[in-house]
Amino acid sequence: MAGGAQLAPRASVPRPGALDWLAATDHKRTAAKVAVASTFFFLLSGLLALLMRAELAQPGLQFVSDHSYNELFTMHGAGMIYLFLTPAALALGLYFVPLQIGAAQIFAPRVALLGFWLYLGGGLTMYSGFLTDNGSGADTWTATIPLADSSHTPGVGMDLWVIGVALAVLGSLLIGITILLTILRLRAPTMTMLRMPVFTWTMLATTFMVIASFPVLVVAMGLLLAERHLHGVFEGATGSVAYQHIFWFFGHPVVYVMFFPFVGAVAEVVTTFSRKRFFGYRVLVISLIFFTSLSMAVWGHHMFILNSVPNQYYSLTSHLLAIPAGIEYLDLIGTMIGGSIVFRTPMLFAIGFILQFLIGGLTGIVMAAPPIDYHINGTYFIVAHFHYTLFAGSLFGLLAGVHFWFPKVTGAMLRERLGKISFWVLVAGANLTYFPMFFLGFDGMPRRVADYAPRFGDLNLLASIGAGVIALGVLLFLANVFISLRHRIPAGDDPWGGQTLEWATTSPPPRLNFEGELPPITSHAPLLDRREAREATPA
Amino acid sequence: MSPERSSEETMHGPRGGGGPLLAWACLQLILAGMLLIWSGGAFGLLFLNGAVILILLSAWNRIAPPPGGPRVLARRSVPIAILGVGVTFAVAGISAGFYLVLIGAELIAFAAIWLVRELLAERKLRR
Repeated sequence: MAGGAQLAPRASVPRPGALDWLAATDHKRTAAKVAVASTFFFLLSGLLALLMRAELAQPGLQFVSDHSYNELFTMHGAGMIYLFLTPAALALGLYFVPLQIGAAQIFAPRVALLGFWLYLGGGLTMYSGFLTDNGSGADTWTATIPLADSSHTPGVGMDLWVIGVALAVLGSLLIGITILLTILRLRAPTMTMLRMPVFTWTMLATTFMVIASFPVLVVAMGLLLAERHLHGVFEGATGSVAYQHIFWFFGHPVVYVMFFPFVGAVAEVVTTFSRKRFFGYRVLVISLIFFTSLSMAVWGHHMFILNSVPNQYYSLTSHLLAIPAGIEYLDLIGTMIGGSIVFRTPMLFAIGFILQFLIGGLTGIVMAAPPIDYHINGTYFIVAHFHYTLFAGSLFGLLAGVHFWFPKVTGAMLRERLGKISFWVLVAGANLTYFPMFFLGFDGMPRRVADYAPRFGDLNLLASIGAGVIALGVLLFLANVFISLRHRIPAGDDPWGGQTLEWATTSPPPRLNFEGELPPITSHAPLLDRREAREATPA
Repeated sequence: MSPERSSEETMHGPRGGGGPLLAWACLQLILAGMLLIWSGGAFGLLFLNGAVILILLSAWNRIAPPPGGPRVLARRSVPIAILGVGVTFAVAGISAGFYLVLIGAELIAFAAIWLVRELLAERKLRR
């Protein structure tokens, strides 16, 4: 290496070590840790899904036993919900909420860091069940009683699953608390509630649900562990119903925890790439509040077939969800109408989210009617519905956000062509995998089985081929990230012409987020205001 | 925005948020009330927790003093990482073996002492 001038600064600024990264209190580093860990668990849980689809490609048992299959779908579902989508949603908030509201730090950074470690510990504890004699948890991601008691599922593996879920959810809860309190307490002086960006509003709604419902699951897991060791906690049919009430009080809001942040991310992408102000901001805020309250009032629709809940109430509230959801769709489409739409990769993923989530949402309305739910409960129709919402919907929303904010986080642009190829491959894979499941379910193929009647063979083969296509799409995305970090194309501070405060700082942002003064905040789109003011001022 | 409001916000930071949170709480109460009337079951009471949290948050946001600028904060907090590992070991040990509970407890105690020292050092710097 030539030139002492190059060597001098390197010697004076030591590279941060692993400990500096693992124990960093900066909210951006904590968020990055959560994002990396959740990606790891996504790949692990995705691998289990590929094994399941390989088994289901043909009728009969090919690779795994019935019990192993139970383990596979339990760990896949639990991994995706507790360890991937929920933490990934919170990681987005942990990174960008302080930036969007002009805060230098997050509220209680150590609590957020502890949240990350508990979440990571919980995830590893869950997966460590595979190393035990009886294998991992094998009672679905809901661990329904009496299946999950010690007589039906003996062994340490299931205990570790219960403990792992409790720890992971507790970790997510701590992270959620810090985000909520940051929004309430650390907003920049002129950032009133109705000047907060749409993404921050969705995170406020999300973290409220986290605080209201996640402690209930931690308690439920504690009671489940007590039931497994001490017995008599959830006895008989009433005990089973009681467990379901407690579980689904968490289990339904968590679906929205895995949805709202991505609606927010998509809204930011749509406004930026439509070159327009967000349409119907205040209406969206009101609809979010309704959406949140209603989403906490529908848990009983998972129990329609029990005939032990007031089906009318839960059916009514479930149907009402269509109203705020429709308003959000109208706002997103209204933002695009009349805009100068630029079809960059983030925008493609955003449109993918809007269209594909619609399929999941509309089938959700169908299932909110108890008579239809009686028919399709426990079938592949349900699998298709929630994969359209969580994979074809939320994951596409997450990828829209990742492609949008990657330049801000890393200072480098993702490759556009590779991004677009991965988008189309993922669209093809998702629809090939999940659309046939609607027909399978409606024709009566039960979910959670390793073997099935030969008449379901063709559609299952299609779904399995689709799963392989999804895996290819994920690999292309990972390759894009790797190549873009290895051969960097500098992004600059605001490569997209963003509207919110995170684009007013450097890429990546400094430790205290902003150097110098913030732009004036007079609306939810301060950078757009500034641009418009400059354009209006004669040169 | 009035000049008075503007200067107040600049000095103290926005204290708002109470209104939307209270409106939200009312909505939660209405839905919870509907459920209690409809079902008569105790599980409807679960739903009240949302409203209670929102009311408490709203009140706290009103009462708590406005936050100052960025606080002094250690760049890294190793004891928090150790605490997280310790809690994981201790809880997993309930089922996986008592030795893990003991290791976890030691880690928690070690991390707690280190954390107190770290917080005291931070407080000293703040002064």
